[in-house]
Formats: sequence, structure tokens, C-alpha cells
Amino acid sequence: MSTYTGRREFLKRMAQGAGVATTGGLLWSFLLGQQRHARANMLRPPGALNEPDFAATCIKCGQCVQACPYGTLSLSPSGAEVPIGTPSFSPRDVPCYMCVDIPCMQACPTGALEHDLERIEDARMGVATIDHESCLSWQGLRCEICYRECPVRNDAITVENRPRRTSGHALFVPVVHASHCTGCGICEYVCPTEVAAIHVLPPELVQGKIGDHYLLSNDAEVDADGGPSASPAGDHDAVPGLEYLNEGER
Amino acid sequence: MSITRRDFMRDAVAAATAAAVGVPLTSAEQALAKEAESGWRWDKGVCRFCGVGCGIQIATKEGRIVATKGDPDAPVNRGLNCVKGYFNGRIMYGEDRLTEPLMRMKDGRFDKKADFVPVSWDRAFDEMERQAKKVLDEKGPTGLAIMGSGQYTVPEGYAAVKLMKAGFRSNTIDPNARHCMASAVVGFMQVFGIDEPAGNYDDIEEADTFVLWGANMAECHPILWSRIANRRISSDAADVKIVNITTFTNMSSDLADLELVIKPSADLAIQNYIAREIIARDAVDKEFVESHCVFATGPYDIGYGMRADSSFAYDAEKDIQAKELEVKLDRFEAAGQRREPGEVVKQTNRGSAGKHWTISFEDFKKAVEPYTLEFVTELAKGDPEETVESFREKLEALADFYINRDRNLVSFWTMGFNQHQRGSWVNEQAYMNHLLVGKQARPGNGAFSLTGQPSACGTAREVGTFGHRLPSDMVVANPAHRAKSEKIWKLPSKAINPKPGSHINKIMRDLEDGTVKFAWVQVNNPFQATANANHWITAAREMDNFIVCSDVYPSVSAKVADLILPAAMIFEKWGLYGNAERRTQAWREQVPPPGDARSDVWQMLEFAKRFTIDEVWGEQKVPGLKAEGYEDGKLPDIRQAAREMGYKPDSTLYEVLFANDANRKVKWPDPVAKDHENHTAALLGDGWFPEKALFDEYTQFGRGHGHDLADFDVYYRDDVRGLRWPVVDGKETQWRFNAKYDPYVKAPDFEFYGKALKALPQGDLDKVTNPEKSGLAGKAKIFFRPYAAPVEQPDENFDLWLSTGRVLEHWHTGTMTRRVPQLHRAVPTAQAFVHPDDAAARNLKRNDVVWLESRRGKIKAVLETHGRNRMVRGMVFVPFFDEGVFVNKLTLDATCPLSKETDFKKCAVKVYKA
Repeated sequence: MSTYTGRREFLKRMAQGAGVATTGGLLWSFLLGQQRHARANMLRPPGALNEPDFAATCIKCGQCVQACPYGTLSLSPSGAEVPIGTPSFSPRDVPCYMCVDIPCMQACPTGALEHDLERIEDARMGVATIDHESCLSWQGLRCEICYRECPVRNDAITVENRPRRTSGHALFVPVVHASHCTGCGICEYVCPTEVAAIHVLPPELVQGKIGDHYLLSNDAEVDADGGPSASPAGDHDAVPGLEYLNEGER
Repeated sequence: MSITRRDFMRDAVAAATAAAVGVPLTSAEQALAKEAESGWRWDKGVCRFCGVGCGIQIATKEGRIVATKGDPDAPVNRGLNCVKGYFNGRIMYGEDRLTEPLMRMKDGRFDKKADFVPVSWDRAFDEMERQAKKVLDEKGPTGLAIMGSGQYTVPEGYAAVKLMKAGFRSNTIDPNARHCMASAVVGFMQVFGIDEPAGNYDDIEEADTFVLWGANMAECHPILWSRIANRRISSDAADVKIVNITTFTNMSSDLADLELVIKPSADLAIQNYIAREIIARDAVDKEFVESHCVFATGPYDIGYGMRADSSFAYDAEKDIQAKELEVKLDRFEAAGQRREPGEVVKQTNRGSAGKHWTISFEDFKKAVEPYTLEFVTELAKGDPEETVESFREKLEALADFYINRDRNLVSFWTMGFNQHQRGSWVNEQAYMNHLLVGKQARPGNGAFSLTGQPSACGTAREVGTFGHRLPSDMVVANPAHRAKSEKIWKLPSKAINPKPGSHINKIMRDLEDGTVKFAWVQVNNPFQATANANHWITAAREMDNFIVCSDVYPSVSAKVADLILPAAMIFEKWGLYGNAERRTQAWREQVPPPGDARSDVWQMLEFAKRFTIDEVWGEQKVPGLKAEGYEDGKLPDIRQAAREMGYKPDSTLYEVLFANDANRKVKWPDPVAKDHENHTAALLGDGWFPEKALFDEYTQFGRGHGHDLADFDVYYRDDVRGLRWPVVDGKETQWRFNAKYDPYVKAPDFEFYGKALKALPQGDLDKVTNPEKSGLAGKAKIFFRPYAAPVEQPDENFDLWLSTGRVLEHWHTGTMTRRVPQLHRAVPTAQAFVHPDDAAARNLKRNDVVWLESRRGKIKAVLETHGRNRMVRGMVFVPFFDEGVFVNKLTLDATCPLSKETDFKKCAVKVYKA
């Protein structure tokens, strides 16, 4: 623990030093060699490009880290799960408090954090996911701290009431809606269980995807131009199944 | 030597430990882990926090609480808890737990200006004795005060009352429950002549309409709220409705079918609108009203419970303070009082706010006549963005719910009603409407006052730890009640002081003006919880007085005290609590208190050993005492009478009041303990069981008078999860005043048999016309009370309303919950909830640090515009749990003049960037 903290502090200080900020790119590019393909479980600052582009664009200057008023961000040390020297945060330690003016993004000199993010509520740093079995609220207790503390409460997290016939006390279960979850991680930070029952992970690790060919009937309107084409395209030489139909046993 | 996993896991304790830290276990290993858990000792207990009174089960091992769970057999909560309850087992283990007495000392002597240093218990009691005797000599018994609590166990509250009222002959004892439900008590006493609700929590499953009046149950009564939610969403009857009447959108609104956002104090007018509608639509339950009710009213010019003079006011406070004596009526007040707008009314009934008389139904009808839909909409609509039409429709829908005969309706309220400059009035009005339509004291129908503290009912109210009260609804001002108490307590006649003592706000004022010079704080944190706190903190630190604080953690009250006594917490002592539905629940001592911490009972009993009756039962001066049979300003010498009763002059208060012959017959050890300890009995060391002896003595007050409690041992039986009093022939009572359920009812259907305030003169809406009193046995009163405007309102300088209250995560002043790291982490600080437009108009944004300033002080807080509480424009809300955001430095110490309960919901502030 202390070694880890010490090293992290050392790197952070290095990264935050003015000299390093201008020449550091060389050092980091070198170190990055072996680390490039590390899997990112940690969360990126708001506005971050998709992971490959971010890794290529971030010059590890640490200016976003310096700009964060809450000490949320840190530069990854060597051996971490994200490429060394790039900014990330671990919400159980310090979540993103969703500054209205997004100072970390404003500080980014390269566009690794895209400056066209206008509202912090539109950031998609990660997605919260609940372990129902250790969530107090899902077990019937009146907790719902994640819901009450969620900065986009009622959009990103809602509470659904469900009857609980065994006791006559309704459940108040928190439900995450990825379409509004910014991934700030405040829910994970405030969760009162010993190990958080709600975790924020990079969206690609959490989110599934329904096939394009099927639309849930309660999903708004269907795009008239965007649906799949009416019949399979192609010339008659390659009619699917034709070869099978025409061979033998006639 | 190497140990395999298999070897290691053979040890059941290791398996249990592994299970606890999440090491995956095989099924065989899980069985071993379970075996280790079975080594835990499980016993029943009660949640430490709110007035809901959830049952829990507590597991202990080797003197520590190792786990708790919701008690599946507890009817209140059926195995569930809220997130505070989840941490019951952790609240005792904060790092800064107080474990030894601390006193301000310099060069071996007490010095008010010195720092705290550890002292022995003997040294602590020596100084308390010296200081108390000095004050007794200088000021008489009323110079001594106790600031007690609705978190007292029953035996603690009883010991405190007896020590003060029977021992020191001082009525200067009052609980923080004064801040919490005193207005509810006045409502009960005035309307029914007996305290506490007719109904109970079973009403939830019987009702189909729930009206919340100033009660954010979703956060403040979380487990009851989940019962209501269950009723709302799973009822086969399908048409269950919830109405939330509030001054801003809170979490209870999320489940509400109808939300009325109202202006502060507009509840008074809305109640009258409903009454007017009931009459106008011919919906009065005539048979019920004629058989069981009378109409009544009282004076309107009653002040606001502030001081009458400005000698202690800051300059900035003087404009509001002046309104205590005369008030210029606004047009809404004037209409309801049948006066002219702008008329200046002298507050001549400040000292007689509770007096009342019967009126005719015709007068009552005339009184509510001005509260038309249009008038009340204009007066009451609280959200500037809501249309008049929308609000008007909501008011009509609300009246429909009361009037619809097919609906079973329960009104719930807490601090929005009780902490109100006309809190007693609005409580009376709640019953007014329920009585008019006959929806009272029937399953699923009733006005139900919720309580905030775990034993506000069971101890503060039933035991009577108030300045004016004695056990079981009796009062010191009543000679018959004093005589009865003197008999049970085996005291000479005239031992009890007939002059009601100061209420808790007044005790603070008494400290400021030097009337009280010795104050003992028990089981609460009044220096953080009392409004206008800057005054009282200065009084504690700068005046010549001695303040003792029994506490478990270094609270604000401990910090301003002169002597800190480390106290035992709930599961470190024996106790009983009584919840809001009259349910008395008990627990055993589960673990020993840490270090030198000791129970409050032990502290009081040890202190009682320091005083002989010769010292305290001589003639005593009591400034302002005037009572029949007493010389003005004096309590008589009762030492001779005491001698004749067999007491010796050098008998101590401990021997006379507590370890007397009757109580010593209640032996410790006792089989009811099973294998549980009692550190209080052990330390006293004289072989009796103080908590049981005191409880059983206390039950003598209520038996046969509608307050019957069972014997001590009954509450400890394995098959008992509390009993709702009156417990008659071993049977609890669900609905009082209803012949089907209440053995005290002799009438065929309903009887409001409470005896207090049941002889009244007759009058009209303004005055008594026939002073001859007639009896109203068995009847309830339907009061008319007019709208009254809040005494302090936003103006051009202080331009926003400030309301205070709770959050789900924290309890009261946070002394316990802020020691639970997980709760502290979830809500580390009290935020200032502000409407986004109000923030924008002041160039403020979410998470900005802002100043909040009132006439009385200023504090810093972090601004929240998108929080759980969604404010209306013009209104700020700040929770009071956080001593770092000390909101009671801002609040106004105006009270309901009847109940003396502070209005923490209405004062004016400004907000600006820090």
C-alpha cells in the first residue's frame, strides 16, 4: 500500500512538474511500449476519446490531474491496468464530482479530452452496475443512498417500488439507466456496504446490445429510412440456397 | 511447518473469518462457519434511532457486538431496517468514544477557562456536588436544571424526574423532545384530555388514503414509509392514494399521487378550508359529532414564545423580537380573525395561550367561513411556478379525500406541524377535520402524530420528563396530581414544587440571564439542537455557571461544558423504549461499556448519594412561585414531616428515592437476565436491580388510568416484541377510545375518556360569555383556530425562507451516525438546498461554498441545486445533523406559545458567495 502510494505520488509529482509537462511525452512514449494493450478497468476523465484514440492522443502531461479540484484524477503508475502515465480515476477512492465547468477537460492541450462536451451530464465515463445480491435496498432495507446522492438522480438512477408480500414492506430498488449514467462514480463511493454493491465500469465492459434487426415495442418510433432493406441484395447467380435446391434428388 | 487450507479451515472460527472476508468456502466449510456463528449470543433489541421503533436482533461475542439483523418477528419492521438501523452494531465503536470523565482544570482545581483534563469519577462527583450545593444555596432548587431527552430509556427518564422533582424539588428538567413533539402533546391534551395517538401502525394496512402534513416520511420514517409504499402499490383495492403537503418537493413526493407545495404556515388555512368544505357539502358526521364532540376555541393574541424584552437580543434581532408584544395583522390573518388588515394587536394572552372555551356549531361555521377556495389558494400556494388553477384543483381533491365516506383516511405529521409557531393549533386542526367526518379512532381512520425519537413517547411523555409534568399525564400545577405522586414516591406532603419548570428553550435563556447556574445535559446535544445557538454557547462559556454533559462522543454540548461524564450507550445498559404507536420494547445489557463509561442511571444514583434530605428538604426559595397553600416564592420545610415518615436527617436521596426498602426487594442477579450482565447494579453493589425496580415503581402511576403497562419481565419474554399500552389483563390495545378495542371505553361505541381540561366555560369566537364551567366527560373537542402569519418572513435584506430538518443517513445532531465511516462518507456534510433560479440570480452554482446569514448568525455551506430536496423559489433547506454547518446559529427561537416547541422551519436568511 505504502509503496504503491509512494510511487503514485512520485509519478504524479513528476507529471505535474512543468518541465515534465513539456518533455514528458518522450519518456511516456518509451514506457508505453509494453503497456499499450493493457485492458482499462479504470475510468477516464470526462470527454475522453475512445480508448485507442485516447491512448494515442494523450501526451501524459498531467494538466487534467492538476486542474481537478477534488484530487479525483491521477496518472497511472507503471504496472497498472491502464497505460502508464495516462489519467484515470477510481471512484471508490475519489469519484468525479461533475464540475459544471469541466476544468480537467478544459485543461487538456491535445484534445484527448474532447472540448466539445458542453454539459457534464453528457459525459460517459462509465456505467454503474448493481450487484443485487449485496445491495441493501434490493434486500429490502431502506438505503437507496446511491439514488439520493446520484447527481443525475431520476435519470441515471431511479428507484422502483416492488411489493414484498412476506413482510408488507415495499422494496425500494435502485435501477441504473445507462443512457443517462455519466459514470461519475459517486454511487460507488457512497455505497455503505463493505464492498460496494454498485460499481462503475467502462461502458464496453458492462453494456450489451440488442440486435439491430429487432426493436423493443416500447422503444419510441421506428426510423422509416433506417430499417433493414426489404429483400437480400445480390445477383441471381448467387441466390442463397439455390445451389442446394438444384443439386441431386430431383 | 506448513498448514494446508484444509487444516486451517477445520477451525470453525477460521472458517467464519474467511467467510466474513469473502474467501470462497466449500459447503463443508460453510457449515463450520455457521457453527462458529452459533457461538454468538443472539438477543432481541430495539433500533437506537427514530420513533418508528424497529426491532432488531443483536449478536455478541466476547463483550463486543459482532452482528445485528432486523428482527423478523418484530411487527413494526418484519426483519428490515433502514441504512441507519443497518449500522446499529457500529455506532458504539467510533474512535473518539469518551471513556473517562473530563473536567476543565488548572493547577488541580476546576477552572471554567481551562482545558479539559481526565479526572476520576470521584473527583467529578466531588465537583458536581460542590457546584450544585453552591447553586442550591444561592438560587434555590430551580437554579439546577437537567436537559434530558426523548432518547432516555424509561428507567433513565424516571430516575431523572424523580431525582429532580422529588429529590431536589426542582421542576427545571425538560427534554429535547420539547423540540420534537410538544405541540403534538398539547394537541392530544386539549382535544382528548389524554396524551398519545388513538391509532397505531396497523392503520397503514387498513387505510386507503394517506395525507402527509409536514412529514417527509420517505427519509425520516423509512420503514413505515415502506409499509405505506407496499400498501400503495400492492393493494388489491387498487385505489390507495398518498397526498404530500409540504413547503418544497421532498422524497415523499416521489410516491405521492397529489403534492401540495404550500407557503410556510399555510397549513392552518388549508385545514380550515377543508372544515369549511365539510360543512358546505353537508358532510359532517352528525351522529358522531353530536354524541362525542364539542366545539371550542381560544385567544388569538398569544405571541410567539420569544422573550418579552430585548435586553439579551442582538441589535439585528430587535425588530422581530418586538413583535412578541404587538403584531400588525396582514390581510390573511385579519380575515380569519374578523379584524381589519393592518390593525395592530397587542399580544395580551401571551401568558394564557392555552385557555379555551366551548362555542356553538354556528360560531364554528362562521369562523371557518372566510377560508374559501379562492382565499386559501391565494394564501397558501407555495410554488410561484404553479398556476392558480392547478393549486385550486389540488385543494379540492384534498377536501374530497376527507369528505368521501368510502375512504379510510390517515393523516400523518411530524415536524412540519410540531415545529410551528402555531404547532398546537395545527395539531388541533388535524383532529378537527377527522372528528368532523367521524374518521377518528377507527381502524384505518385517524389523525396520527409520528414521533422523531425512539422514546419521545415512552419516556419523555409517558414518564413526564418535562418542566410541567409528572408521570402518566399528570402535572405539577395540579394539587391532586402532586398528592398522588407524593404518595407513590413516599414523600412528605408539599415536597413537590407546584411551579412548572422552564421548558428547554427557557433553560437556555435561564443560563443566559443567570437564573439557572447548574445544568446537566443527558442523552442529547442541546447546544447544537437549540435554535439561535450563538446565544446559548456564549452563555455556557462566558456566564458564571457549571455545565455537566453526560455523553458518548465529543459533541458540541460536551465541548461547551465544564465537566464531561462518559456515558454507556444503548446496548451497554438495560433499557426500555416506547415508540410512536404506544409500543413499549425492552432490551438487556449486551456488552459492557468501554473504559470508565457508565450508564446514566448509575450517574444519577451516584450523584443522589451526595445529598441528604436534611440538605435539600428544608425551606427553599423558588422565585415566582405562587400557589394555593404555599407561601409566595417558597417551598416549605418538610424535614420534620420526613422524620415522621421514618426518614433520618442524614438519609441520602439515593436511600430515600432509589435504594429504598421496596426497591431493594427487587434483587440483582435476576433470572430475567439469563446470562447478561448489569454494570449499573454491579457498580452500585448493593444487590438490587435498579432498572427493574424503577420501571415497576413507575407502572404504579398509570395502572387503572388508561396508561397501563405490563410488568418488567413480560417485555423481556422471548415471545414478546413490545406491547401497545394500555395493557389490560395481559392484552395490548390497538385502537383507543373505540369500544371494540379499548377496555377503558364504557360507552357502546366511542368514548374520549381522557380527563384533562374537560371542564370549560362557554363563549363566542372572541371571548368567554359564561364563565361557569361545565363538564365534557367522554367528549373530544373540535377547535377553531385561525391562520396566523409567521413572525419572521423574508424581506428585502434577508430574502429567503430557511427550513431545517433531517436526511435519512443521519440521526439528529450526527453524534452517532457521523462516527459510522460509511454514513459519513455517504453524506459528509449538510448542504444548502436551493432552487437553481435562486442560485443563478445570486451568481451561484452547484457545489459553490456560500454564506447563509440571518439576523442571528452566519454559517458556510456547500450549495446544492439538484439534490434530493427540490426547492421552490424563495426557500432554502439545510439539514441540522452537521456541527460543521451549524444551522441552528441561524434559526429563530420563536415557539408555539402553547407547547413552547421551537419553529425550526421558518426564518429568513440571505445567501451569498463565500
